[in-house]
Amino acid sequence: MGAVVTGLFVGLIFGFILQRGRFCMNSAFRDAILMKDNVLLKTVFVALLVELIGFSIMDMTGAIAINPKPFWWGANLLGSFIFGIGMVLAGGCASGITYRVGEGMVGSITAVLGLSLGGYITAAGFLKPFKANLQAATTISGADGSALTLHGILGMDYTTLALIILLVVLAAWYFIARKNGEEYEVDKGWGWVTTGTLVGFVGILAFPLSAAAGRNYPLGITAGWINIVKKILNPAEVSLDWLGMLIIGIVLGGFVAALIAKEFKFRVPKPLVLVQTFAGGLLMGFGAVTSGGCNIGHLLSGVPQFSLGSILAGISIVLGAWAASYVMFVLPQKND
Amino acid sequence: MTDVTPTKTLDVCGKICPYPDMNTMTTLKKMEKGEILEVLLDYPLSVERMPRNLKKQGHKLLSTEQLDGPNHRMLIEAYGLK
Repeated sequence: MGAVVTGLFVGLIFGFILQRGRFCMNSAFRDAILMKDNVLLKTVFVALLVELIGFSIMDMTGAIAINPKPFWWGANLLGSFIFGIGMVLAGGCASGITYRVGEGMVGSITAVLGLSLGGYITAAGFLKPFKANLQAATTISGADGSALTLHGILGMDYTTLALIILLVVLAAWYFIARKNGEEYEVDKGWGWVTTGTLVGFVGILAFPLSAAAGRNYPLGITAGWINIVKKILNPAEVSLDWLGMLIIGIVLGGFVAALIAKEFKFRVPKPLVLVQTFAGGLLMGFGAVTSGGCNIGHLLSGVPQFSLGSILAGISIVLGAWAASYVMFVLPQKND
Repeated sequence: MTDVTPTKTLDVCGKICPYPDMNTMTTLKKMEKGEILEVLLDYPLSVERMPRNLKKQGHKLLSTEQLDGPNHRMLIEAYGLK
């Protein structure tokens, strides 16, 4: 116990923020093409910028040592593309379906069952050799065996590149916002700046706390669900780790937030939809374990560490989500 | 605004993301200008997202009412895209 308890604490805060801020990367990517609505996309963007500031300050001061994920181009491309398709079917990204369990969305409960099972059989079951071979066959690492990063390729240190990107992005944003008269309006709920900033702070808080528990990385979802599956299958041998505790915290945090907002309700879609979200979850679990991370492990946590693998995985998740959204939602409308 | 008589009622309770929004938009597209659509929904994300999309399509959101729990009732005046 001890150090892993902080996972529960971070999870509670994370779940609360996800529920109140309606944070979901599936909606963020899908809505951008489906409804030309980019509010959640801007939320993701703000969260990444806030993390970039926090991670670089902590790395500079020695509070953390950044730990980018390896570059497995084949596994990153294939796994994350399938993950992207899966999350559209599941009706939410890995963090989205996790917090919605706490809201009483039965479609999300079947989705996380699929995610846990798909993740487990790929991490420890019959798909393990496939995943391991694909990762090994498509690994490219630095001369010293380190993970490929953007700053490494450019020959810079992490903080320098973080600072350059921050300045460029903030300057570009300032000019675009001034030119377009960027509107910031909130009809109901939190706005994208608030939600994005809070999600970014959770990522910053998670890094040193998770590192103190022996896992030197910020947030993650899929591995946490797999940990819970292992604990259930083998309660005597397996103990809950930091991520497993984080997951329990997110579900509870989402539940508390939904209760306070009077939004908790068991919502049961049609049986066929439950099959769809379960199947989507299975694809997400397989994809996340193959690629070495879900939208949280790669996009929210890996991209601000400039891991090339995470950047490729992030692009692939978006492409998978777009492909599935096009087939599921855009095409049927055209025939209407 | 509850005194407005809806022309049509659409119940999207229990539907998963993004069907509440999609079904509402498709229904509105087939309605005449000035007709009123009553939407019953229980998905909070859609309650917040829908006003932005309605505005973009020119439809007029007359009211949003929280009934009990996450159940909401929206009254929308169709722009007449038919």
